[in-house]
Amino acid sequence: MAVKEEEIKPIKLASQFWPTFFRQRLIVLITTQIFLMSAFTLILMLILSKTLTINSLILWPVTIALFAVSLGLNVMILLSTARPTRDLMAAIITVSGEKSALTPPNPNTSENERTGFRDALQTIYELSTKKSSEIEEAAEPQISVVAEALDITTCGFVAMNKNRKVIYANKAAPTHIDIDGLQTLDLLFNEKDSLDTWLNECSDNSVHAKHVWVRIPDRLPNQEGRRFFDVIASYQKSSTIEVILCLVDKTDSYITEEEDLDFISFAAHELRGPITVIKGYVDILQDELHDVLQNDQAELFNRLSISSSRLSGYIDNILNTSRYDRRHLKIRLNEDTVTAVYDIIKDDMQLRASVQNRLLSVNIPADLPTIAVDRASMSEVFGNLIDNAIKYSNEGGAINVTAKTNGNFVDVSIQDHGIGMPESVVSQLFQKFYRSHRSRETVAGTGIGLYISKAIVESHGGTVSVRSQDGRGSTFIVSLPIYSTVADKLKTGDNSNEGLISEGNGWIKNHSMFRG
Amino acid sequence: MIAKTILCIEDDRFIGEMYVRSLKKAGYEVDWMVDGNDGLIAARNKQYDFILLDVMLPERRGTEILDALRGGKEDLIPHTHVIILTNFEQDDESRLAMQKHADAYLIKAEITPKKLISVIQHLSNA
Repeated sequence: MAVKEEEIKPIKLASQFWPTFFRQRLIVLITTQIFLMSAFTLILMLILSKTLTINSLILWPVTIALFAVSLGLNVMILLSTARPTRDLMAAIITVSGEKSALTPPNPNTSENERTGFRDALQTIYELSTKKSSEIEEAAEPQISVVAEALDITTCGFVAMNKNRKVIYANKAAPTHIDIDGLQTLDLLFNEKDSLDTWLNECSDNSVHAKHVWVRIPDRLPNQEGRRFFDVIASYQKSSTIEVILCLVDKTDSYITEEEDLDFISFAAHELRGPITVIKGYVDILQDELHDVLQNDQAELFNRLSISSSRLSGYIDNILNTSRYDRRHLKIRLNEDTVTAVYDIIKDDMQLRASVQNRLLSVNIPADLPTIAVDRASMSEVFGNLIDNAIKYSNEGGAINVTAKTNGNFVDVSIQDHGIGMPESVVSQLFQKFYRSHRSRETVAGTGIGLYISKAIVESHGGTVSVRSQDGRGSTFIVSLPIYSTVADKLKTGDNSNEGLISEGNGWIKNHSMFRG
Repeated sequence: MIAKTILCIEDDRFIGEMYVRSLKKAGYEVDWMVDGNDGLIAARNKQYDFILLDVMLPERRGTEILDALRGGKEDLIPHTHVIILTNFEQDDESRLAMQKHADAYLIKAEITPKKLISVIQHLSNA
C-alpha cells in the first residue's frame, strides 16, 4: 500500500530547535519594536503637532536613535534571558549525542558558579554519564549473564572457526590448553566416525549440516574422571564460527550402564573359569578313559560335554545382549564362507544332536559366494538356532541346515520338524525374555537366544525370518549379504568393518554401509 | 624334532595345571608362571616358541606384559608366537590392541586343551 506523501513529515532533531526558535523570537522582537516605535512616533507627533511634523528635521534622527537604542537593549535582554535556555539546550543536545553547531556550555565558569546555573548544567551532564553507564550496564549484563550461564551449565559449548581452532569453550566443555596456548577438544571419537571425518565431509559437500554422536568419552577407560558426552554439532560453511558443538554430559546415566556392564563382564569371567576346567577335563577324561568307559558312561560324558558348551554359549548370549543393549556390541565384517562359520560349532552341534537323538544334516554347497561376516558372532547365531531346533523337535527328529544364494544375499535355513508355533507366537518370538506359554513348561531356556541372534544378524545388514506351522515344525532363515555386494562399502570404511550399534532402535552405524 | 617350548602365564591353578598337563603329554616343554611379573621376567630371559598369556593376572596384567614385550619400537620376542587365553570380556579397544600384537585370541571357556594344542600346531606349521 502506498503511503500518502503529505503524511511523511521529516523528523526534526533537537539540534534544529535552537536556531529556528531564536530566529523566530528575534523576528518577533524586531517586528514588535518597529510596531511600537511607529506607534510611539505617531503619538508623539499628535501630542507635539506644533513642533513636530513629518517634515521636522529632528523627528527622524530621534526616532531612529530611540529605535536603535531600544532594539539594542531588547536584543541584549533577549540574549541574556535566552542564554540559560540556549545553554540548557546545548547541554541536552550534547548529552543526547546529536551533532550541534552550539558549543556545549562550560558549567564551571565563575558566572555559572555564582548564579547557581552550574548545578543545573551539571545535573544534565551527570544524567548523561548515568544514562550511558546504564546502557553499558544493560548490555554487559546480557553478555556476562550468558557467559556465566554457559559456565554454570553442565552442557559443554564449543565454537570453532574455519581452521577448526577452538575459539570459545565454556567450563563444562572437555578441553585443555597446551603449552603453545592452543585450546584443544578432549573427545575420543570413534576413529571412523570422528569430528574431523565429518568436518572433512562437510567442507567437501555441505553448506549447512548437523551431526550427532552419542556416548563419546573424553578419556580412556582406565583414566580417572572419565566423562561421556552426547555431541551435537552444527556446521555453517564460511561463517566466522563455522562449527558449534553442544556437548551433553551423560556421564551419570552411561557410567551406571558401564558399571552394570563391568559387573556382567566380571560375573562372566568368574563363571567361565570353572566352565573352562569342567569342559577341559571332560574332554581330557573322555579321551583318556575311552577304552575303559561303558557305552552308557561314554554317553554321560557326552552330556557333560554338551552341557558345559551350552553353559558357555549362554554366557556369550548374556554378554552380547548386555553389550548390545548398551550399544557396545561391535561386529567386524570380513570376507568368509558359511562353511568356515559353521565349522567353529560343527563338532559341538553334531554332538548335541546325537546325544539328544536328533538327526542333524548339514548341506552347505561348496560354490556359495563368500559373505561379509563376523565369524565368531555368526557362529553363535547358528549355534542358537540349531540348539533351538534341537530343543523344539521330537526324539529322532531331523534338523536340516541348508544354504543358497538369494539375490544379493546368502540364505542359511535351519529347519526342524518339531512342535512348531502358531502365528501369534511368531511375531513375539524375537522379543527379549519371550518364552512361549508351551515352551515355558516343557523346554528350558532364557529367552534371549533369538533376541540376540536377530540383533547380531541385523548388525551384519542381514535379516532373520521364520516360517512355522503349529505341530509341524519351524524354519529359521538367516540372510547375510554377499561379500562382493558390500565390499566397496566396507573398504571405504577403511577396511575397519566396524559396526557400532549406536542408534536408538538398534541400527547401527555401519548400516549405512548397506543401505546407501 | 626338538620339543617346542611354551611359557604358560596363568593364575588359575586348575586351569594352569590342566593346560600344563595336556601340553606336556603332547610333548611340549612347559614353564608355568602364576603372576604377571614372573611371567614377564621369564618371557624376557628365555626364548620360547609359544607364550600362552592370560589377561587378568596378579601384579601385572596380560595387556601390560604384551605391551612390554611387543609394544615398543623393537619386538623383544620376534621368534615367539603369542596366544592370548582369557575368560575376561575386554572392551573392544583393549582387545583390538592385544590382538594386534598376538597370533591368536581365544576365550578359555570355549576351547578345550585339545583345541588349544591344535591351534598351537596350526601356528607352528604356518
